[in-house]
Amino acid sequence: MNTEIAEKIKGMLVERLRIPADELEYDSELFGEDIGLDSIDSIEIIVGIENLFGVDISGAGATKEDFRSIETLTAFVEAHKED
Amino acid sequence: MLMNERRCVITGLGLVSAIGHNTEECFNAALNGISGIKDVKSFDTSDCYSHKGAEVDLTNEQLADGRYDRTTALGIRAAGEALADAQIDMDSEDAAKIGVILGSCIAGAACVEKYYTQKSRGEEGNVEDLKSMPATVIAGNVADYYNCGGITANIVNACAAGTLSVALAIDLIRGGKGEIFLAGGCDSFSSLAFSGFHALRALDGNACSPFNHSEGITLGEGAGVLVVESYEHAVKRGAKIYCDVLGSGVSSDAYHITAPRPDGEGQMSVIKRAIKNSGLDFTDIDYINAHGTGTAKNDESEFLSLKTSFADNDHVSVSSTKSMTGHCLGAAGAIEAVLTVKALTERKLPPTTGYAEEDLKVLAEKSGNIDFIANTPRERSDVKYAMSNSFAFGGNNASIVFAKDPNKLNLLCPKQDLYVTGIGIVSGEYSEETKTYNVSLDTDTFKAYGVKSAFLRKLDRLSQLQLLSGVKALEDAGITVNEENEGIMGICIGTTDGPMTEIANFQKGIIKDGIDKGSAFAFPNTVYNAAGGYLSIFTGIKGYNVTIANGFQSGLQSVCAAAGAIMFGYESMMLASGTDECTDIDIEMYRDMGLTGKGLTLGEGSVTCVIEKDSCAAERGAKRYAKIGGFSSARDTSGDRSDNLRYSGTALTKVIENVLEEAGLKAEDISCIYGFGNGIESLDAFEMDIYKKIFGDNIKVELVKKEYGEARAASSSLQLAKLAQDIYAGKYENGIAISCGTSALYSAMLLTKA
Repeated sequence: MNTEIAEKIKGMLVERLRIPADELEYDSELFGEDIGLDSIDSIEIIVGIENLFGVDISGAGATKEDFRSIETLTAFVEAHKED
Repeated sequence: MLMNERRCVITGLGLVSAIGHNTEECFNAALNGISGIKDVKSFDTSDCYSHKGAEVDLTNEQLADGRYDRTTALGIRAAGEALADAQIDMDSEDAAKIGVILGSCIAGAACVEKYYTQKSRGEEGNVEDLKSMPATVIAGNVADYYNCGGITANIVNACAAGTLSVALAIDLIRGGKGEIFLAGGCDSFSSLAFSGFHALRALDGNACSPFNHSEGITLGEGAGVLVVESYEHAVKRGAKIYCDVLGSGVSSDAYHITAPRPDGEGQMSVIKRAIKNSGLDFTDIDYINAHGTGTAKNDESEFLSLKTSFADNDHVSVSSTKSMTGHCLGAAGAIEAVLTVKALTERKLPPTTGYAEEDLKVLAEKSGNIDFIANTPRERSDVKYAMSNSFAFGGNNASIVFAKDPNKLNLLCPKQDLYVTGIGIVSGEYSEETKTYNVSLDTDTFKAYGVKSAFLRKLDRLSQLQLLSGVKALEDAGITVNEENEGIMGICIGTTDGPMTEIANFQKGIIKDGIDKGSAFAFPNTVYNAAGGYLSIFTGIKGYNVTIANGFQSGLQSVCAAAGAIMFGYESMMLASGTDECTDIDIEMYRDMGLTGKGLTLGEGSVTCVIEKDSCAAERGAKRYAKIGGFSSARDTSGDRSDNLRYSGTALTKVIENVLEEAGLKAEDISCIYGFGNGIESLDAFEMDIYKKIFGDNIKVELVKKEYGEARAASSSLQLAKLAQDIYAGKYENGIAISCGTSALYSAMLLTKA
């Protein structure tokens, strides 16, 4: 996993969605019991990632599984990021 | 005495929207399916996926005299038409009786944008814009503009606000607190709302298409105002009567901050409440002006709610006039109420516009027994009862029923004594660093009440303060919300400045990054009723839910409205709160308005009192802090009406006299006053002078703001809570909590030993 991307995504989640940093691990289930995100949060994540990496994750066909954790989001960004 | 026995009638109408400059123009356009939705002109939407809006083609100068924020200017325009239509002689004593209750969602958003745009350029913002930002000033400014001397209130429950204003007017008339009100709502087009709904992907790329394509809303602007009057008063002055307004319903979804319950439970509950409170059956309703926003979530749940609720009604017609006016947020319910009254009285029902041939086929297949009016008006000579529904962010639902035939009006509950049975206090401590009184909020405190961090993180500071005092009050009262009592409990919140921090920060964000870059996460917290919504979602309270923004006295006015909700049989228990936050934004605002530094020290907090009726308190063996002896609000228009921070000895004296009379007490019987003095020398001297005149030199006056700062609405609630605690502890036999608002509004509540 690209920890540089993962850290940026984590920072974005902490800032934009006010998730306490100490409760957020790379493998935390974002939309499950752990963090409890909902549909409004997913919109915010899409915008946050586009701003950070220029990757339109909804346009690039991200699935529910890609939103599961920071790890899966990182993998998706890495695969679709233009260097 | 039985409550709800007074007939309330509509005697005047005023309307301005994208489809017309007055009621006649708007109604004729609505009947003919003429839409006011065009490309947005107020600001640049080129980076957005939607460019549609329903704007009013009048300038602020054309609406009022250019001195006001656009939301207030729209309200002034519609209020003027309503007053003229009602043919009220504004030089007669009637003018002094006219109260003003207006709903708004985004309040002074146009001024928020202007002020922070100037600041972002390094310019000095205009203090007048700063003063026009909060919803708190709207009704007072409209009342002052026309010299209306009755009481005021701003209802700020987002998209249900306009409907709730009319509902509150009926309650106040039936509760003997007024004879005649201008009730309605106003909201301007704003980059804030456009950006917020854009961020939520809730805007339709084309003109909205309610109950049809349902791909999102189109925002609009406008104002609707109705003259709501007691039947006796209307007859006495020979007024033209459009129709009766029978009753209202208010409910909470207790589900989600922006989305309605998919099963429609809250919507069906509010429809049922309105019908019950109007003394009708489901089969009586002939026409419904639906909420019908055009979002898939709303339209699906509303379709389900209507089809389920009116399954046995074979003659109900439904339409959404938002297809023409756009969604005017806090004005929507009021605009739709005016159109509903016109439809009822002219017996012509406006359609939902915009159906193509193939859409009509789909509609016919899914409508079932309900007559969804499409494209062309429906003439129905048999229309007697009409309903208008509004469903808002925060899960707030409101419904109101108008009638050509008042005969079925039933009498509801017998009057009962009311008690304070629970208190939750969240107050600040002085900080040398900020020179303000601040509350320390930590996650452990919330965890102790079972609030998970996944929920807490969504709440802005105002909502967190409110949630904490609410759960503390429930705990103190020994109430656990469950399936048995969730439907007989309600919430009423007062706030002076609401979520001004969230509003300012959201606006600053879009000024910096663009209207297309608004935060979907932050936007829901920019509405004033988010705090009440979260409290309902967390606790599961599904009854009445109203937020009032009306100056420092809002905390007391919320208790008055809560008491009304119990008196009329809507609920058995109410959480009545006052809440205001103190952030960098508040500190800057009060400093720039020149209000701090003259002895006033800003504070924050939230105080919730549980208000409960006698039979309910007896049944569960509740602790009774004190009994409510009387409550009153009063205003005065003498002096310089252009100064909405003026003092009025007449109005302050009047509220004291009113509560004494209601409680059957004399001035010499009163043990103490919990006053509103906040360190501003002239205000404190004015207040003490009036008390001494009424109660004599030795009256005991307690001032909570000395210890906790000017926490505005939280302070006025704290005054009441402390008084109740003192009476319970035996320190005082009785007492009066008194506070002030803008435009010379005062409120008082008298408590006695339980």
